[in-house]
Amino acid sequence: MKVSLNWLRELVDFQQDATALSGLLTNAGVEVEGIETRGVSIDKVVVAQILSSEQHPNADRLSVCKVEDGSGMPRQIVCGAKNYKVGDKVPLAQPGAVMPGDFKIKVGKLRGVESEGMMCSSKELGLSADSEGLLILDAAAQVGASLKSLFPGDTVLDLEITPNRSDLLSHEGIAREVGVLTGRVSRLEHVLVPEEAAGEVSLAGACSFYTARLLENVQVAASPEWLRTRLESLGLRSINNVVDVTNWVMFESGQPLHAFDADKVQGSLSVRYAREGESFVALDIRTYQLGPDDLVIADETGPLAIAGVMGGQASGVSDSTTRVILESAAFESGGIRRTSRRLGLSSDSSYRFERGVDVAGVLRASQRATTLLGQVASAQARELQVGVGHADVDSGALLQGLTPVRHVPFRLERVTALLGTPVSEVRVNQILGALGLTKNESGWDVPSFRGDLTREVDLIEEIARVVGIEHFPPVTRAWMSPSSDTDRRYDRLMKLRRAAVGQGLFESRTLTLVSEAMAQSPFVKGPVLRVKNPLNEDQVVLRPSLVPGLLIAAGRNARAGVKAIRLFETGRAFFAEGVEERTHLAVVIAGPAWTPNWRCSSVAEVDVFDLKGILSAVLGRPVQFSPATASGDLGLEVTILVDGKVVGVAGQLRPSASRELDVPGSLLAAEVCLSGILDAAEGAALYRELPRFPAVTRDIAFVAPQDLAHQRILEVLGAAKEPLLAGVELFDVFTDASGEKVPVNHKSVAYSLTYRSAERTLTAEEVTAVHNNLKQRIISELGVLFRE
Amino acid sequence: MEAQLESLRTEALLTVAACTDEAQVEQLRIRYLGRGGELTALSDRMREVSKEDKPKIGKLLNETRSAVTAALDERRALMVAAHEARAFDGLDVTLPGASFPVGALHPITQLMDRATGIFRRMGFALADGPDIETEWHCFDALNTPADHPARNEQDTFYMPDGRLLRTHTSSVQIRTLERVAPPVRIIAPGAAYRRDEVDATHLAQFNQMEGLYVDEGVTLADLRGTLEFFFRELFGNDAKFRFRPHFFPFTEPSFEVDIQTAALGGGRWLEIAGCGMVDPAVFEAVNLRRGDRGLDPERHSGFAFGFGLDRLAMIMAGVPDIRLFTDSDQRFLSQF
Repeated sequence: MKVSLNWLRELVDFQQDATALSGLLTNAGVEVEGIETRGVSIDKVVVAQILSSEQHPNADRLSVCKVEDGSGMPRQIVCGAKNYKVGDKVPLAQPGAVMPGDFKIKVGKLRGVESEGMMCSSKELGLSADSEGLLILDAAAQVGASLKSLFPGDTVLDLEITPNRSDLLSHEGIAREVGVLTGRVSRLEHVLVPEEAAGEVSLAGACSFYTARLLENVQVAASPEWLRTRLESLGLRSINNVVDVTNWVMFESGQPLHAFDADKVQGSLSVRYAREGESFVALDIRTYQLGPDDLVIADETGPLAIAGVMGGQASGVSDSTTRVILESAAFESGGIRRTSRRLGLSSDSSYRFERGVDVAGVLRASQRATTLLGQVASAQARELQVGVGHADVDSGALLQGLTPVRHVPFRLERVTALLGTPVSEVRVNQILGALGLTKNESGWDVPSFRGDLTREVDLIEEIARVVGIEHFPPVTRAWMSPSSDTDRRYDRLMKLRRAAVGQGLFESRTLTLVSEAMAQSPFVKGPVLRVKNPLNEDQVVLRPSLVPGLLIAAGRNARAGVKAIRLFETGRAFFAEGVEERTHLAVVIAGPAWTPNWRCSSVAEVDVFDLKGILSAVLGRPVQFSPATASGDLGLEVTILVDGKVVGVAGQLRPSASRELDVPGSLLAAEVCLSGILDAAEGAALYRELPRFPAVTRDIAFVAPQDLAHQRILEVLGAAKEPLLAGVELFDVFTDASGEKVPVNHKSVAYSLTYRSAERTLTAEEVTAVHNNLKQRIISELGVLFRE
Repeated sequence: MEAQLESLRTEALLTVAACTDEAQVEQLRIRYLGRGGELTALSDRMREVSKEDKPKIGKLLNETRSAVTAALDERRALMVAAHEARAFDGLDVTLPGASFPVGALHPITQLMDRATGIFRRMGFALADGPDIETEWHCFDALNTPADHPARNEQDTFYMPDGRLLRTHTSSVQIRTLERVAPPVRIIAPGAAYRRDEVDATHLAQFNQMEGLYVDEGVTLADLRGTLEFFFRELFGNDAKFRFRPHFFPFTEPSFEVDIQTAALGGGRWLEIAGCGMVDPAVFEAVNLRRGDRGLDPERHSGFAFGFGLDRLAMIMAGVPDIRLFTDSDQRFLSQF
């Protein structure tokens, strides 16, 4: 909300300048978002008329003017602008004027020609951020008049008012707040004069109190200077004296008003909900389709205004208006907010009603506007009609000027209990008193304009706010907390993330809301969850799989020239069936296994075994891959198992699918559900005795059919349960497409078998016996051919 | 014999001194000291020496052998040293180093983990809750009225069943208070969603760190102490703070925290967190749900705070566009 300092100073007598005041307000919770100066505040700048203009003898771009500035003696001014003509009236800074930037105007020579001052642009006067050429003034401007009188100076604060403080949406409200903060008393002198209602307005909607006053003999005209300039300094356009007065009172008191042309109203006014399909042309000349949720002010022919939001084009005040119905009312906030949002229409009025207006301020504002309209438009007040729409509203009391109060209990010791440092009773009484509250035996009576203060804690907040945070010094205390399950899961997840980083992977954090296309992952199948009101088609589905986001990221990296693409992500995946939110791990790798360097310029492309190795390292335990039927974009698909349990899917994309993503080489991905892994109780690692006796290594090599799996060979060796066999390592796999060295559809494999005893050094004879035994098992169980 | 020994010794010492590599030294060792070597041959002739000359010649023979052996050993050591010294001649040590390539944690994860570590040092445990949340946990229990603008479908993603994507991690406050009795001291890093158009400073999804402390005798002083300690740990001891009174439905009094620190560019105040004392209405809402008086506003008090990890990470690292955090560009990720 914009606040004029000139206006504020009329309401409260404070010494602070704009910057100091901003600091006070900000520290009390009224954030100042901007400080703007308006008008001209420089002395010795006057209206001057250009009498003649001639080319400067020594400078092409300059001219020499003679101007009349009211002193009777034409002055000679050297000027660089071109946008004027002789006879124009322009601002002239006379010698002695101090321009912004502490630039003093003196008599001096410019390229050899004397200049007795400077003709100014609007930028030079601080009236606009930039401008071209001189500011050409209105032809009616009086020569010699000061620019300060033409453009009165003001400072405007742009305040961010939190939604609980509707009382601050007015100059009077801010003045009260400034009074509290500066220790000055604010002059809020427009008190209500008790009056009688002459008739009743029919209310059928969310409006607690409605007043309509008839004004006659209204002379609609342009607003006087004081009214116009003040509204303009707040960024409002002056319309006419009647509309301007309603705006003035709104900015003064916070109570929105509306003026209807009484001669355009057919029959009596009523407040009702719109009928389905009822349409309405508002003041902005747009047509709005109203519905039964929208409150309107209507006469016998139809809606005249959207209540609290905007008046109608047809019933607005025009030059020919002579009779006005002045509306001042308290509409309920929720309904105004819904209508304003639904219609996409907001106004200074709806902004205030949405946050709630003070029911006790309704009639006061009406009387204030009536007085002002009497002054500026010769209006004469006629009868007042009122309507009451809420059982709690006592219109009799309101017409008498009695402010409803709410009793709030208060205990001084609760201030210390919540804020940590005591505040003296004297100070508390002073603060709450200045805020307009009245003390009684057990607490405080809160006037209706502070609808946000309903509980003891709300009063304590007011004290904290006004006293300032510096009064409550920080303390640090030592605390102890046992770890939670979430702590343990967090630590396991971080360990896993760090293991992934150790594998050369970069962590991604892609978006959880994805498009329909990205929800179609070969890695995770099943029904997905969608949001009801997506913002766009890119963010519709809660991702069931992390891989699609990483595949797109892989393409983005490839296009950016990244060769070795290594990405992982851990995060939530969402499912319509079963456990709704699960923690997943996804890995995507592509390109060379690492970035080639000067010592090793040729690097193999990543393959499924790189992926398997990475997953084992990241999960901290060996993973098994078991073949699955490839589908969709996958050329190779495997099921990932950990400790015999299926935990995910991995695979390599078909080359055409990789190319589709702009990834030139092999592109592999894996998705693992981590929920079970993170939840599993992790026992402490146990020490195993280090070997004390030497090991003996013997190699075996044999030719086996292509489809004999490594896993099967390990199973045969394991089934022997040979206690001396300490390790089996595959060190070569060889195939020969020509069939010369190894028959077609066969492979030559070589294993290194390690034998060791925990009790003694093994003899060659012992090892040979065991080794031959194992070889025999392989031959008999697998029917393979040994290469000796 | 004596003269022969003398001349052999002179010759041997000269030849050894002339050796230029280890192999030559080895050849000379064989030539003089080997089985058929020249000195060995002379030793063999000791039998021919007269009895009275034997001690003198024998002594001379031993001296000669020692001298030659010492010369050979010395020369060999010299040659080895010279050879080893040459092993690195001409090596260009300015060539690039090589290392096993490692990746990097996402900058937001790094910040989240650092923040988590600091709060854990103060005795906070972790808590979490679902992204898909009920309206009650996200709004009602947090004292946010049904007609509050934040609850509008224009600002919040709703699910067809009426639930929503949580608009803040504050819902974890409720999730925790529902389950656990005070003292409660938790932090909850996590995702939150707002129905915002995506631009350089907005994503529809972002990351927050939530904190809650409820116990007997918790005051505003604890809130200040905790947050100021946290941000000083994060940014250094020069950090200055401004707690500006503000409004949140679920805390009373409420504050926004501004910080001024060299680590964040010095001069200007930056808004970094929202906080306040837990509103008694939050306690009452949870009591109502639990069906007990486990949270007594007369006895218990607490503070809560929340801040955006994305925004903080942007300011700390000077990242100009929030979308860089979700683009997964390895050129970006490898900078942290």
